[in-house]
Amino acid sequence: MNSETTQSRPEVKIRVEYSKTSQSRYIAHLDTIDVICKALRRLQLPYAVTQGCHVRPKISFGPPLPLGHASYCEYFVLTLTGPVDSQALSESLNRELPSGMRVISIANPYVETRNGNFGEKLHYRFSFTRAEIAETARQWLLNPETSFAAESKGKTRTYAIRSAVLGASLAENDSLILEADFIQGQADVPSVSKIVTALAGFLDAQKDCLKLIERISLSELKQKQEISST
Amino acid sequence: MKNVIEALSHWELLEIEKPARYLGGEVNQATAKESPALRTCLVFPDLYELGMSNLALKIFYETLNQRPDIVAERAFSPWPDFESLLRRRGLPLYGLESGMPLKDFDVIFVTLPYEMTFTNVLNILDLAGLPLSWKDRIDGPLVIAGGPSASNPLPVAKFMDAILIGDGEEAIIEICDSLIAAKKAGANRSETRRALTKVEGLWVPEFPGPVKRRVFKLFSQSQPPLKPVVPNVQAIHNRAPLEIFRGCMKGCRFCNAGFFYRPKRERSVEDLVKYAGDLLQNTGEESLGLLSLSTSDYNNLEDLIHSLDKAKLYPEQSVSIPSMRMNDNTIALLDATPHIRKGGLTFAPEAGTQRLRNVINKNVTEEDIISVMKATGGSDYRTVKLYFMMGLPFETDEDIYGIVDLVKRLEAIGKTTKPRKQISISLSGFVPKPFTPFQWSEQASMAELKRKRQIVCRGLENGSSRVSWREEFLCLLESVLSRGDERIGDLIESAFRNGCKFDGWHEFFSKEKWEKAFTETGVKAEDYLRERPVDAQLPWDFIDFQVPRTYLENEYRLAAKAAGEQP
Ligand code: SF4
Repeated sequence: MNSETTQSRPEVKIRVEYSKTSQSRYIAHLDTIDVICKALRRLQLPYAVTQGCHVRPKISFGPPLPLGHASYCEYFVLTLTGPVDSQALSESLNRELPSGMRVISIANPYVETRNGNFGEKLHYRFSFTRAEIAETARQWLLNPETSFAAESKGKTRTYAIRSAVLGASLAENDSLILEADFIQGQADVPSVSKIVTALAGFLDAQKDCLKLIERISLSELKQKQEISST
Repeated sequence: MKNVIEALSHWELLEIEKPARYLGGEVNQATAKESPALRTCLVFPDLYELGMSNLALKIFYETLNQRPDIVAERAFSPWPDFESLLRRRGLPLYGLESGMPLKDFDVIFVTLPYEMTFTNVLNILDLAGLPLSWKDRIDGPLVIAGGPSASNPLPVAKFMDAILIGDGEEAIIEICDSLIAAKKAGANRSETRRALTKVEGLWVPEFPGPVKRRVFKLFSQSQPPLKPVVPNVQAIHNRAPLEIFRGCMKGCRFCNAGFFYRPKRERSVEDLVKYAGDLLQNTGEESLGLLSLSTSDYNNLEDLIHSLDKAKLYPEQSVSIPSMRMNDNTIALLDATPHIRKGGLTFAPEAGTQRLRNVINKNVTEEDIISVMKATGGSDYRTVKLYFMMGLPFETDEDIYGIVDLVKRLEAIGKTTKPRKQISISLSGFVPKPFTPFQWSEQASMAELKRKRQIVCRGLENGSSRVSWREEFLCLLESVLSRGDERIGDLIESAFRNGCKFDGWHEFFSKEKWEKAFTETGVKAEDYLRERPVDAQLPWDFIDFQVPRTYLENEYRLAAKAAGEQP
């Protein structure tokens, strides 16, 4: 493939949604980008490249997934210079990803809508080995008084989690599963990563009962969302 | 326990840096096999990121896993945070592919890339729950080592059931076949080891030599690893490595690698272009690394680089050439090929004067360096790195002042170029290595190396160059470890028991712990650092290195002659 011809063709975007589970959830964000870019090269997709001295594929990724969180809603948006078949791409990409990473769906073509930067809404599932610990965690998340200290830009500051937690409930048919909704990406709202770390600190010796943390869905907020409305 | 990885909890994994190092599951990882005849684990005694860049590991992984009846997994030294976790939980070290404890494999193959990994090897055996000495291992896997720092195998003989001297591609298959046959026949450990003595190049410490260095004669026609595992944590060298030739006939008299990998064997341009395509196709690496001891000595370099350029697979593809000797020709070639990654300019004159460069037979001239500096005046090359050794045989203070003079001259040229060039100097004490013409030479003392280093530092203190150096004690230690006999095994073991590991890592190296090990074992460093008479028996003489001793003796004499002295 020649970069000059690549650049002169009309560009089209696709959005690939993928999961990151089992051992792949311990691959750090930057390493994940590297792993995906290598997979795209192996497939020799007709992707567009950036201009400049260090040429790279034109690709952007969703918000970083905290290390160790599984996810069913990761995505990247790739700019292509020619058409691709979504089904074939999904199958071939699945062969090229490390264990635990799988394509869920491909939006092709993908029309990007700029929402402004209002952060995102996230649905999480927490799996416990003991029901009473799941309940303790639920109460901790829903308690409007819950706050914790965490590092931010080299400074320790206190966060109130009520600005981030939209809701939390135990699954109807499984008291070991806690489902919760969060917002993040807004000023003064702690990230889910920070909240989960603080929850583990709160559970202390019992934290091993929280054995799996899964990001189930993610949607970009179209406007600033106030928690008080829930 | 079947799978150690499954015993690690989420929160434990989060406590350690880069947990993906310890979990496997990478692209191109070998798939599991039903009841293989032999389970092997390839151990690299340093961090995942370094091991995943190691070519030998890739070669053996692919060679062994191509066999339907052999499984080859990988294990690396755990970083101290992960080691503490394993020890705290009482969990053994394991193979990354299956999580199976190392002690359940049939054989462990240990790569020894540099002497400073010896204590890491013992740490790995300990973490595997295996006794350190081969004599104490009555069950569990055989432990077999190989690699350039085992060219004199005596220092690690205590720990190894067998040690391979030379190239491993064919030998490793013969070793595996021998082990499979021994397993089928129900042979005991000693019988199994005895059978291994038939493999050319393999020394079994239980039995006397001689041993002949193994040379892979079919290298040129052989296929390199084309589907290496793609790491899940960025490796130290982010490139797909392609070995374009093995061996080097330049004959620098200090260079162990030059003699270890003899003779020079080249792959053809046609084959390399095809391999490069497959390698990039299978790894998706952005950069192709053309590897060899001295890439500018490849016969058809220009042709190779142009052909690779024509066969580019993706737009951002680049080529990196880590060991390129710079001269006017290579600069012209690099300039004509924009997709070559241009790092800094690197020179290894090794000695400060032409007289001493003649003594060590290092074929880099001052004119070469100056002309390249001038030729790259206005180009992208902003950094110039120069490697020098101190304490070389027949060296005088004049040669050390020569380093200062040469660097000052280069600084003056660097100032006139736009952009200005940043020069950095790397100083290291010379370590005499077995199987080189300088194997008889004296190791310069710490005081001598320090004094010489200070001459260079003072001479350049008002200049613009950055000077870095290797700690003198490390040079002496490397000297003892590489020219040692079997007693050095006790020293390594004592150092390990004192807590030494990751000795190649500045932040972990402990001079005090090693000094304690010398005291505890009664090993006198001086016995190993002194000059030896050319006609004296050397501990490693039982190895036929395929470089006649008379040749080495003659080279030593020629060096002395070039210096105007008698050896
Ligand atoms: S120093 Fe380099 S050129 Fe000299 S013998 Fe060794 S590998 Fe060859």
